[in-house]
Amino acid sequence: MIRGSRYRLLGAGFVALALTATACGGSSSSASGGSNGSGTLSTLVIANAVKVDTLDPEANSVNESIWLDQNLYSRLLQPNATGTGLLPDLATSWNISKNGLTYTFHLRPNAQFSNGMPVTASDVVYSIQRSRAFKGGWGFLLTPVKTITAPDPHTVVITLSQPHAPLLADLAMYAYSVVPESLVKAQGASFFQHPVGSGPFMVTSFSPDTEVDLARNPHFYGIKPKISKVKVLIVPNDNTRVLELESKKVDVIENPPGNLVSEIDKTPGLSVQLFPSTRVDFIQLDQHYAPFKKLAVRQALNYAINRNAIVKLAYQGHAIPGASFLPYRMEFYDSAISPYPYDPAKAKQLLAQAGYPHGFNTFLITVSGDVAGQAEAVVIKSELAAVGINVSIQSYELTTAYSKEDSGHSQMGERYWTNDIIDPDEVATFGADCQGGANAFSSYWCDKATINAVNQARSELSSSVRQNLYNQVQQAVYQQSPFIVVDYSPYRYGVGNWVHGFHATPLGNYDLSLETLTVSSH
Amino acid sequence: MSRFGSLPRRLVHVVIVLFGITLVTFFLLRLIPGDPALAILGSGYTHARAQAIDSGLGLNRPIWSQYGLFMSRLFHGSLGFSFFYHEPATTVIVQHIPPTLFLVAYSAVLAALISLPIGFVAGLRSGRVVDQVSRVFFTLSFAMPAFWLGIILILIFSVHLAVFPISGFGSGVAGHLYYLFLPALTIALGFSTVLVRSLRAATITTLHAEFVDTAQMKGIPWARVLRRHVFRNAVLAVVAVYGVNLAYLISGTVLVENVFSLPGLGTLLVNSVTDRDYPVVQGVTLVFAVLIVAINLLTDVTQAALDPRVGQEIGT
Repeated sequence: MIRGSRYRLLGAGFVALALTATACGGSSSSASGGSNGSGTLSTLVIANAVKVDTLDPEANSVNESIWLDQNLYSRLLQPNATGTGLLPDLATSWNISKNGLTYTFHLRPNAQFSNGMPVTASDVVYSIQRSRAFKGGWGFLLTPVKTITAPDPHTVVITLSQPHAPLLADLAMYAYSVVPESLVKAQGASFFQHPVGSGPFMVTSFSPDTEVDLARNPHFYGIKPKISKVKVLIVPNDNTRVLELESKKVDVIENPPGNLVSEIDKTPGLSVQLFPSTRVDFIQLDQHYAPFKKLAVRQALNYAINRNAIVKLAYQGHAIPGASFLPYRMEFYDSAISPYPYDPAKAKQLLAQAGYPHGFNTFLITVSGDVAGQAEAVVIKSELAAVGINVSIQSYELTTAYSKEDSGHSQMGERYWTNDIIDPDEVATFGADCQGGANAFSSYWCDKATINAVNQARSELSSSVRQNLYNQVQQAVYQQSPFIVVDYSPYRYGVGNWVHGFHATPLGNYDLSLETLTVSSH
Repeated sequence: MSRFGSLPRRLVHVVIVLFGITLVTFFLLRLIPGDPALAILGSGYTHARAQAIDSGLGLNRPIWSQYGLFMSRLFHGSLGFSFFYHEPATTVIVQHIPPTLFLVAYSAVLAALISLPIGFVAGLRSGRVVDQVSRVFFTLSFAMPAFWLGIILILIFSVHLAVFPISGFGSGVAGHLYYLFLPALTIALGFSTVLVRSLRAATITTLHAEFVDTAQMKGIPWARVLRRHVFRNAVLAVVAVYGVNLAYLISGTVLVENVFSLPGLGTLLVNSVTDRDYPVVQGVTLVFAVLIVAINLLTDVTQAALDPRVGQEIGT
């Protein structure tokens, strides 16, 4: 009995091995068959590092999923390729009343969902209202909105209680993507397992942890994408993702690790492409900790940190030393501000002036597993040690780190910001307005004049007046240093040279480039 | 079947253990700093938004009433709704079970195929070349972390030789066997070390046992002595080691799942802890607990089946 079962086990094992061997043979021959072809290919394969949280735009929180969504849905307007302006999407034109309180959007008459249903104004109204009502979602951006109505199938009218300059940018945000009212109401949450949108692509298969397959939407109003299919693979391990690219089974990989960038660049046919992003890396300084209440201490930290060294050591040179807290060169960015120079002597002098001639002890929270962040922390620790500040590095798992940093009992913390809209209203409210809900990036820095300027810039429609106000905000944050702006880091993609025209916008969307890029055989 | 007499009592123990596990995971999970709202909002966190999310998820209720709700749902076969996947937690978990179970079973079979012959031969030829080579090889493979060994195997078999896929689960049994070969081999190589070493030691001990001399003196052919008396007795010692380590493997596949992009339970658990997806974490922990308890039970039963003495000991 026992011998019998053992031999059966062995037998099963050999069958398994035999099957494996035949399967290998089949695959290697088909792989070589594919590479012998010539001309262009119809499928683009992208490997992302992070699983998809949902395809429901109102509930998205993961960047990679948001970028994926943009290929499926249209909005009234969309950000342009440089993230500095807006393009028509479902709305071809819009008028703003003289008092800035009524917006009228004229929809394109031929827009259809991927199932052939027309996109109507009432779909738009429903979608915006639905996202506004989502608990913990982005409804707060549209607080001044009074009514959203559809007087006819091709017109949407939005009225406001007070002028709201970021409105168009808000409406171009992913959360306000347009979904078909009748289907979402009928299917509920299950709609987003096989969603229907009016973007350039549609979902053909959806496994959030492994693979999402897209096909060209035959009813898309815009230009017909040159590729007919997009395969998005989820490959969390950094090394594995790079190996997928090196084996040429994948065309584009998201976020290759910094220490493998030069290896990818050295591999024939592969390169790492950098796209300017809205990411700002900064060090939080919690003013509940006594030394950080003093302006001179905060400025001393700015002088004590060598941003060029951090860019070189932590980001392999692929980042820009930080100056203003607004994302690099976005709308209303103040280019007159330049990074604090590296000046340890001045830092020591400022510390002495603040009453800390021998420095003090503090801690710096980092996210474990964030390789660049750990390197940055080590550089900061040694540079602050040089001016007498003793920093202990505390690494936590992501959510624990956030929780500690937001607790109001923190000291220093590594954090970053990325924009969801192209207008600076969002980052200014979160970073410079202690009454805006985020306690000025949890620094608890409150400056009356700055808060007023942030609020005024939101309801001011003249661009030049807004520029002046945002310059004032940026200079105040620079001078007062409620947190240390360290650098602006770009998006990194590893791309095969057989892919022509892949491009990510500063918000991270790549949907515009998927409409035009081509893939040659390789 | 008196040697399985302790089974009913063991099953009662299982229920108590599982209840304890719901209690521990539920409350430990809530002791970790950070909540789902924070994981969802990240740098867009504001107190108002977090409160809205908490009330939407029912997290603003007293913790005892949350536990009560969790337990009453559990008795109705539901684990609640995943905060992150926006689907029932049971659906999410069930989707992630096959890759892990398949991987563990595949690794277990590969490990047995590798280690039983090698361990036995190393024991018979202890001190000779076979023994020395196996010692060095398996010490090395044991010392290599799975994420490193996995990458090396990918580099050799997927990038250079291009015979195995780098990542994915495949479809159909043949597809799974093909796609999971490298991950299973990665686990099996590490797992085999313990088996080879313990089988070798057990074989040497058994060879010196008096009943082996007796069998030999009775004139039984040596090959038969080895098969019927030495191997059977030596392998008994390995079954317990095999069982304990197999249980450990189930929750330990996470590194390998990560390297080979397998959507398994280990990956799901780690991600869900990071996301503070309480219903999923609670569910996966329960599944692990059930599997581990089941494997332990199965190991005892197997041992009892192989060796009548074992059953009598645990039966008393």
